[in-house]
Amino acid sequence: MTGVGPRTLIDLDTHTLDNGLEVVLAPDPSVPVVAVNIWYGVGSRNEAPGRTGFAHLFEHMMFQGSAHVPKNGHFELIERAGGSLNATTWFDRTNYFETLPAHELDLALWLESDRMGWMLPAMTGDKLENQRDVVKNERRQRYDNQPYGDWDERVQSLLFPADHPYHHTVIGSMEDISAATLDDVHDFFATFYVPNNAVLTICGDIDPAAALEAVVRYFGEIPAGASPPSIPGNPVLSFDTGGTLRQDVSAQVPLPRIYMAARVPPFTTEAFYAGQAAVTAATTGRSSRVHDRLVRKERLAKSVSCSTLPLTTGATMLLMVATGYDPASVDALERAMADELDGLTSLQQDELDRAVAVTETRTLSQLQRVGSRADLLSMFATLFKDPRRLNRDLWRLRDVSLDEVHAWAAEYMSPSNRVVVRYLPEAP
Amino acid sequence: MNDLDRSARPASGGIRPYQFPDLVSRRLESGLELMLVQKKDLPMVTALVVLDAGEARVPLERGGLAVLTGDALEAGTGSRSGLEWARALERLGATSGVSTGWDSTTVAVSSQADRLDEALPLLAEMVRSPSFPEDEFPRYKRQCLGTIAQRAMNPGALASDEFARFLYGAHALYGRPLGGREESLASVETVECRAFVESAYVPHGAGLVLVGDLDAGEAEALARKSFGDWAGRPADAVGEAALEETESGVLLVHRPGAVQSEIRIGHGGIRRDAPDYFAVQILNLVLGGSFTSRLNLNLREKNGFTYGVRSRFITRRGAGPFVVSTAVESAVTGAAVSEIHGEIGALANDGPTGAEVETAISYLSGVFPLKLETTGQIAAQAAEIIVYGLEQDYYHRYRERIRDVSLTDVGETAGTRLRPAQLRTVIVGDADVVAPQLEGKRLGPIVRTP
Repeated sequence: MTGVGPRTLIDLDTHTLDNGLEVVLAPDPSVPVVAVNIWYGVGSRNEAPGRTGFAHLFEHMMFQGSAHVPKNGHFELIERAGGSLNATTWFDRTNYFETLPAHELDLALWLESDRMGWMLPAMTGDKLENQRDVVKNERRQRYDNQPYGDWDERVQSLLFPADHPYHHTVIGSMEDISAATLDDVHDFFATFYVPNNAVLTICGDIDPAAALEAVVRYFGEIPAGASPPSIPGNPVLSFDTGGTLRQDVSAQVPLPRIYMAARVPPFTTEAFYAGQAAVTAATTGRSSRVHDRLVRKERLAKSVSCSTLPLTTGATMLLMVATGYDPASVDALERAMADELDGLTSLQQDELDRAVAVTETRTLSQLQRVGSRADLLSMFATLFKDPRRLNRDLWRLRDVSLDEVHAWAAEYMSPSNRVVVRYLPEAP
Repeated sequence: MNDLDRSARPASGGIRPYQFPDLVSRRLESGLELMLVQKKDLPMVTALVVLDAGEARVPLERGGLAVLTGDALEAGTGSRSGLEWARALERLGATSGVSTGWDSTTVAVSSQADRLDEALPLLAEMVRSPSFPEDEFPRYKRQCLGTIAQRAMNPGALASDEFARFLYGAHALYGRPLGGREESLASVETVECRAFVESAYVPHGAGLVLVGDLDAGEAEALARKSFGDWAGRPADAVGEAALEETESGVLLVHRPGAVQSEIRIGHGGIRRDAPDYFAVQILNLVLGGSFTSRLNLNLREKNGFTYGVRSRFITRRGAGPFVVSTAVESAVTGAAVSEIHGEIGALANDGPTGAEVETAISYLSGVFPLKLETTGQIAAQAAEIIVYGLEQDYYHRYRERIRDVSLTDVGETAGTRLRPAQLRTVIVGDADVVAPQLEGKRLGPIVRTP
C-alpha cells in the first residue's frame, strides 16, 4: 500500500520583520478565503506560582478592545465581514485566529496588530472583573459541573512534580483566577506579547508580496521586547514516576472511567514519532488490538482511546482513557489497559503500516481546512522554527521502524512510569 | 514608521466570487440518487450513503432502534466479521462513520483518492448486508444503554432531554431523546434491526454522494459496480411530529449541590421546509446565533453570568424546537432567566435593527464557504438535498437567497416565530438555591422534580 506522497503539498514563504515577528505566507487561490493565525510563545507553563489560569484569562482580555478597537469590536467587525474567529490557550502557547473572505485580509491584520501593539491603553478593571466572571463560569461548566470534568487536574498533578510547569492545568484554580490583578495584565502583556515572541501565518487566497507589504505596514512599527524569561520551575524530569501513582475518585459519574498516563519523550524529540506510531498502531480504529480486546472481545470497556500530546517541555503525556461498564470489573479493566501499554513491545509490522496509512489520511483531511493549515504552520514555526517541516511531517511516520517502536515501548512503558486515576460511581 | 491611520477600520479589497463546486446528480435504475462533486485541491475523497432511516421512522416503544441499528452496522456483514471488515478498511488508511438523526442515517467513508475503488465496495457491503451477529449484538446495545446512562448524569444533556420532553410531551416523537430510553431499547433484538434494515435501508429514496479528487466517469462506474444491483423500496414511515401551541411553564430538575444551572428556554420552532427558513436563520443570528448576538453580549459580556449562550431553531422534517441554551452560576439563575425572556420579548415585539440584519446576512454569506471546506462537510451538506428535497442548485443559490431577505421579512418572522407568552423554561441545578430566585417572575407554573 503506497498511496500518494511523499511530496510537498503546501508552498510557503517565510520572513522575519525587524522587530522579530516571524511571518509565514502560504498562498492557495482555490477558495477566496484567508486564514490569519498568530501563535504567541506563552501558555500555562509560563505562569508564575499563585497565578495558574492567568495565560487563559489574559487571552480573554485580548478580546476586550485595544487603543483603536472598542470592547467586542474585534468580534463585531470580523463577524460583520463574514468571518469566524477565536483563540485558545494551551500548555506551551496561545493562538489567535480568524478566517474571513480574502478581500478583508487588512481588517484582520489591523485588529491583530492593534492588540499586539496597543492593547494596554484599553484595559480597565471593569473589563477584568467581567472576564474573570466569564472564565469562572467556563471553569464551572467544563470542570466542576461535568462528570469526570476534573480529570486533567488529577492526572497532571500526579504525573508532573509540583515544580514542573505541567503540574497545573490551563484553566487554573478558582483561587488564582480570583487573585489576578490589572497589574498582572500589564506585566504579562509586556513580558510575553511582544512581536519577537510571535509567529503570524497567513494562508489562503493571497498575493504573497502584497500580503507581506500589509504585514509590514500593520506590524512593523510595534517595538520588539526583551526576550521572554525562562519557564518557571524545573522542566527537567525523568521518564519515571517512581512507581504507579494512583487515585480513586468516588463521584457523580454514570460509568466507571480510567485515565492512565505516562511520561514520554516530548514532541520536539525524534523519539516522539516512535511513540506516536506505537500508540496509533495499537489503539486507533476498530481493527486495533486495544479496541479488539477491551471493547470487542473482553467487553470491559464501552470505549477506549489513547494518544501522546504534542507537548514540548521536558516530557509529554501519553494518555489512555477507557470508560467501563461495571464498577466490579474496574480492576480487570485497569489490568487490561496496563497490559496493553506494556505489550506495545509486541507490535507487528502490519499494525504499524495501518497506523501510517490512517495517520496520513487524517492529516490530509485536516489540511483541507485553511484554518487548520495556518495553525499547523504556526505550530511548526513556533516549536521547530521551521514551518516547512509540515510538508515532511505528514509522511514522517513512514520512517519509523518496528525496531524503534519496540525500543520506545521497552524504554518508556512500565509500571514505574504510570499514573492511574479511576472514577467510580458514588453509591446512590 | 509609516503614515498608517490606525483609528479607522481598513477599507475592504475587491470582493472575489465564490462558487460552490459543480454538483452532478442522476438517479440510478434502482432509485438510488447518485451525486458527484469534484474537489481536487487535495487527494482525498468521501463516499457517503444517506438513507431514509432516521429515528422518525421508529415508534415510541422502540425509540433508539434506528440509532442502535446504525451503530451495529460495524458488527459484521454477510461475508465478513466486524473485525475483518475493519481490518480491510483501515488497511487502506480509510476512516468510517455512521450518524443517525431524526430524518436520516448516513454512513460515510473517507480515504485517499486512489483507494476509492477498494473503499467503496466495503461501504456497500456494510450498508447492503449487515448481519447483526447474535454474539456481537448485545455489545452494541449495551453501548447505547451506556450512552443513555451518561446523558442522564450529564447536566447539559439532561437539560436538553428534559426540555424536549417538557415541550413536546413524553409520548410525542420529538419529546423523546434521539437515542431512545432504557425501556424502549433494552428489549430490542437483532430481528428488529434486520426488519428495520429491510424496510429503510433501500435504494429508493436513498443517495450515494461522492466528493473529492475523482473522475466523474470512473466514479460513476465504481458506484454502479457496488450499488447498481441494489434493490428495494421503503416501507411507509410513521407520521411527522406536530406541536400544538404550548403554555408557558417551568420545570426545575433538582441536582443537589450543583455549582451551575443548565438552562433551556424555548417553544416550538419550524420545519426544514418552512417558507421563511432563511429569515429565521437571520433572526436567530441576531438573537443568539453568534458571539455578538443580543443574548451573548448581554449574559456574557455585560453580566458575566455565563461562558456562553446560544439560540437555535432546530429544523427537521417536522417542526423542531426553538431553544436558548446556557449554563450559569447558580446564584444568578433567576436573573439570567429574566434576561433571556426579556431579550426574546424585545426581539419579538420590536424586531431587529437594519444594522443587525445586514451583519447577519454578511456573516452567513461570508462563512458559507468555511462550512464547505472538506470532502466530508460537502458530502454531508449535499446529502441534505436528498433528505429534505432541496433544489439541486440549493447551495449554488444559497448566498443569493440569504441576501434576498429584507429587514421587513425578518421583522415579520420575529413577530410570528418568537412567542414570548409560550416560552417553556427548564433548569437543571440546585433547586433549593434556584427556586427562591424564580419567585415573582411570571414564567408560568413551576414544577419541581424529583
